[in-house]
Amino acid sequence: MRMYLSRVARGGAHSSLQLIDLFLHEVGRYSSTLLLLMVFCVETGVVIFVIRDLRAADHEVQSIYAGSVLGLRGIGELQYQAQETRRSTLYALTTNDSNLQVEYADQSRAADRRVTDGISDYLAHARMPREVDVGNRLERDWSAYLKVRDEVLASILEGSIKEAVDFDLAGGVPSFDRVRQDLEDVKRLYDEQASQRLTIVDEASRRSAGRLVGVLCFTLLFASVSVWAIQRAKMLSALKLAKLQMDFVASVSHELRTPLAVICASAQNIADGVVEEKEQLAKYGSVIRNQTRQLTDLVNQILLFASTKEGRTHYVLRPLQVPPVIDAVLRNARETVEEAGFTVEQHLDPDLPEIVGDSSALVQCLQNLVGNAVKYGGSHPRITIRAFVDKAHEHHDDEVRISVEDRGIGIDSSEIPHIFDPFYRSPVVAAAQIHGTGLGLPLAKNIAEAMGGRITVVSKLGVGSVFTLHLPIGKKTRQTMTVIESDSFTRQ
Amino acid sequence: MWRVAGVLIIVSAAVLLLEVSPTAVLNAAGAPPETELPDQSLAIIVNQSNPVDNVSFQDLRTIFLGERSHWPNGRRITLVMLEPGQPERKVILHTIYRMTESDFSRHFLQGLFTGEVFVSPKTLASPVGVRKFVFNVPGAIGYVRVPDVDDTVKVIRVDGHLPDDKDYALRIPARPAK
Repeated sequence: MRMYLSRVARGGAHSSLQLIDLFLHEVGRYSSTLLLLMVFCVETGVVIFVIRDLRAADHEVQSIYAGSVLGLRGIGELQYQAQETRRSTLYALTTNDSNLQVEYADQSRAADRRVTDGISDYLAHARMPREVDVGNRLERDWSAYLKVRDEVLASILEGSIKEAVDFDLAGGVPSFDRVRQDLEDVKRLYDEQASQRLTIVDEASRRSAGRLVGVLCFTLLFASVSVWAIQRAKMLSALKLAKLQMDFVASVSHELRTPLAVICASAQNIADGVVEEKEQLAKYGSVIRNQTRQLTDLVNQILLFASTKEGRTHYVLRPLQVPPVIDAVLRNARETVEEAGFTVEQHLDPDLPEIVGDSSALVQCLQNLVGNAVKYGGSHPRITIRAFVDKAHEHHDDEVRISVEDRGIGIDSSEIPHIFDPFYRSPVVAAAQIHGTGLGLPLAKNIAEAMGGRITVVSKLGVGSVFTLHLPIGKKTRQTMTVIESDSFTRQ
Repeated sequence: MWRVAGVLIIVSAAVLLLEVSPTAVLNAAGAPPETELPDQSLAIIVNQSNPVDNVSFQDLRTIFLGERSHWPNGRRITLVMLEPGQPERKVILHTIYRMTESDFSRHFLQGLFTGEVFVSPKTLASPVGVRKFVFNVPGAIGYVRVPDVDDTVKVIRVDGHLPDDKDYALRIPARPAK
C-alpha cells in the first residue's frame, strides 16, 4: 500500500480509472478474503449500532410499561378502593343491624388503608415536582375525607342517620370529589408521561428503521463494488500473468534460439568443411558443448520449477552438515564462476549445527543464488558466502543462515516485492540484455519453503545484494545445543 | 312447722349464694362447675379518643342504665351490649343492672317512652363486633373479656381497679377450652 501511495505521488496525471486500477493492483495482491473481512467488519459495526438502537427502544418500552401502564393500573386500583371506601360507608346507612353496620365499617376501613398505602407508594416513587405536588395534594384531600368518613360512620353506628347524612353532604361529598379530581390529575400525569415516552420510542424505532435501510443500501452498494473490484483485480492479475507468460515465452525463445543458432552455425561450418584443423575442431566442439549445457540447464530449470509449483517434487528431508552442501554448490558452479572471472570467499562458522533438508534441492537453491550473484555481479567479481547462527537474537537462534553476497548492480527497492514472482524480470535487467527466465529466485523460494525455511534479501541499487537462506536446525541438534549450553552454564 | 322453717332456711341460703357469686348464677343455668374453670375479668372498654380513664361502679351503673347521655368531652354515649344468652351479658345484667332479661327490656322500653332513659343500647352478636363498634364510635362503651381486648380500644378502671386487680368487680368464668 505504501508503494501504491508512492506510485500515486510519483505518477503525476493519472485518470481516475488508472488510479483505481493501480489501487486494485495493490489490493489484488491480498486475497479476496481480506475484502470480505473488511465488508464484514463494516457491516458488524453498523449492525451493532442498529442493535443498540433496538435495545434502547425495547428498554424504553419496558420503562413505559413499568412506569406508565403499571402506574395507570395502580391509579385505577386506587380509584376503585376509594370508591369502595365510600360505598361501604354508605352501605352502612342502609341497615339498622349494628352487626352489619360494623362489617361495612370494617370493609370501609380496609379499603381506605389500601388507598392510603397506594398514595404513600406513589409519593415514594414520585420524581418530578408535578408528581410530588399532585401526590401531596391527594394525600391531604384523602386525609380530610377520612376524617369526615369517620364522623359519618360513628353517626351511623350510633343510629343518628340524619346526622350521618348531614355530615356526608356537608363534608363527605365535596372532599371525596376533591380526591376523585386528584386521582384524575395523577392519571392525566401518567398519560402525559406515557405520551412523551411513546414519542421517544417512536423516534428510536424510526431511527432504527432508517439505519436498517441504510445498512441494506450500504451492504448492496458495498457488495456490488466489492464484486466489481474483485473481478477487476482478477482480470488485472490475469492480464499481468498473461503478459509475464508472453515475456517468458519471448525470453525463453531468445534463450533457446541463441545457443541453438551458435550450435547450428558451428555444426554447419564443420559440415561444410570450413573447419579442418584439429585445434579449430576442438574449439568448435567446446562451443557446441557449452551451448548444449546452457540449453540443458535452461530446460532443467523450467521443468524443475513446473514440478515444484505443482507439488510433484518429493524431497527427502534428513539431517545435513552445511559445509558439504556449500562445497557441492561451489563444485557445480565452479565453471560458471571461473568463466565469469569471479572469486568466491567463504566464511563458515566452525560449530555450525546440522540442518534438516533435501541435499540436492538445497544445492539447487544455493546454486541459483550463486548463479544470480555471478549474473548480476557487475564489475566487482567477488562473491561472499557466509553460514552462521544468529545467536544475538534469541528468537533467531533456531535457524542456520546461509547468505550469498555480491557487490553488483543491486535491486531497486520497488522491484524487491516482485523478484520472487514467477517469470518476473526487472525492466532494467531486460534492457541490459542480461539473460534469464525469471524462474531462478521463485524456484529457490519454493525449495526453501519446502524445507521449512525462507529466503530474505537486502539490496541497494549500485551497491550489491545479499540473499539469505534461513533453514531450521534439526531437533536433535537443537537438543544437543541446549545440553551443551546448559553444561557450559553449569561449569561457569 | 319445722318443715316450713327448713324450706325457708334452704331458700334463704340459695338467695345468699346467688348474691355473693355471679358464677353461682351460671352454675344454676347449667354452666360447668366453678372448680373446673378459673375466673376471668370482664373489661369495660371505650373508644381510644375518650378521655375517661376511671369510673365508679355507681357511675358505671348509671351509664349502663342509660340515665346519662353524654361523656365529659361532650360526645354522646352509645351503649353496646352482647346479644341475649351470652355469658358476658348475663354477668353484666346480674352485676351492674341487677335485672333479668325481661326487666332489662322493660326498663329501656319504659325509660325511653318516659324520657328518663337517654340511650338505647346497641346489640352485637360477638365480642369482636363489640370491640369494632367501640373502635368506630367515639362515645361508645361496651364490655368484653380481657383476652378479647386489643389496642384498638381503651380499658377503663372501675372504682380505680383494672381487670387484673384482685378487687375488680366484674368476674366471669373462663371459656372452656376448644
